Amino acid sequence: MSVEDGPGWYLYGVVAAGSAVDDGDVSLVSEGPVAGVASRVPLEEFDPSVLPERLGDAAWLEQKIRAHEQVLEDVLRSASVVPCRFCTVYQTEDELRRFLSERGSDLSAALAHVEGRVELGVKAFVDRERFMTGGAIRNDAIRELSERVAQSEGGRAYLEARRLDQLITDELMQFKDEIAEPLHERLAGASDDAVRLNLQRPEVSGRDDEMLLNGAYLVSDQPRFGTALRELGAEHRDSGVELELTGPWPPYNFVPAVLGAA
Amino acid sequence: MSSRDLQHQVTLLELVDRVLNKGVVLSGDITLSVADVDLVYVGLRVLLSSVATLEEQNAAAIAQGGLR
Repeated sequence: MSVEDGPGWYLYGVVAAGSAVDDGDVSLVSEGPVAGVASRVPLEEFDPSVLPERLGDAAWLEQKIRAHEQVLEDVLRSASVVPCRFCTVYQTEDELRRFLSERGSDLSAALAHVEGRVELGVKAFVDRERFMTGGAIRNDAIRELSERVAQSEGGRAYLEARRLDQLITDELMQFKDEIAEPLHERLAGASDDAVRLNLQRPEVSGRDDEMLLNGAYLVSDQPRFGTALRELGAEHRDSGVELELTGPWPPYNFVPAVLGAA
Repeated sequence: MSSRDLQHQVTLLELVDRVLNKGVVLSGDITLSVADVDLVYVGLRVLLSSVATLEEQNAAAIAQGGLR
């Protein structure tokens, strides 16, 4: 594919035709029942011959990713949106219109699923210190060993402390496995759709605590979801569980990855 | 650099997981390939290492008498 220099169209997402989108930086390109939220971009910036280099440029990447998200968040305030994946670019307005027109019914179906809804993220962590004093202490083996550790001295104390540490780690792992699904199910019960995402490493989550659940929820009734979240937080606080809410996000996790496949 | 900047970077990574791996894939004239997404994560490692650097700088600043 050869891409000629000149203005192309970057497509951020798709809304229902006639949606009120108040953002001076983007245009609505309406085609039948749907409209693309798009802006003119210099094609040379996204040319496949230079794109790999750009993608390795952290500053460029950050600016573009934030711009992508910002446009969608602005749209989300006044309309439901099917978010596109980062860097979806058309060479001409005709190409963009042709796509919108060809996939109009699939896009309408995707829009119907997210209509009036936003994506909320919930991450659950467990604080090891608080788990030890609250949750794990119910385990007899751990309680007995921690009493012995307190009374031991020297090398023996060291070895027993090591063993205690391992026991707590095992207990914590089991606890995380057991509680993740019930937490997710409760939140899913207050949502219209729900999905469990991969757990994040500490450098991504920004927390030292162990992540036990990373969920995304498609929510129409935000107060109801908030109540469910607060209740869960109160129920599990003694075990060291902390719940972190993010969003509202454009519904990235609730649109088909490939149109027509869902 | 403040902890707020650090949080800013972490949130970017959260964002990246969504905009790169989720959202509908359309038949654009230009779209990211799997190889491209890999490149993005290489670029992100630069960001990640700068986050780590920030943490070290913060720790050093605290050791030297606190952050301003």
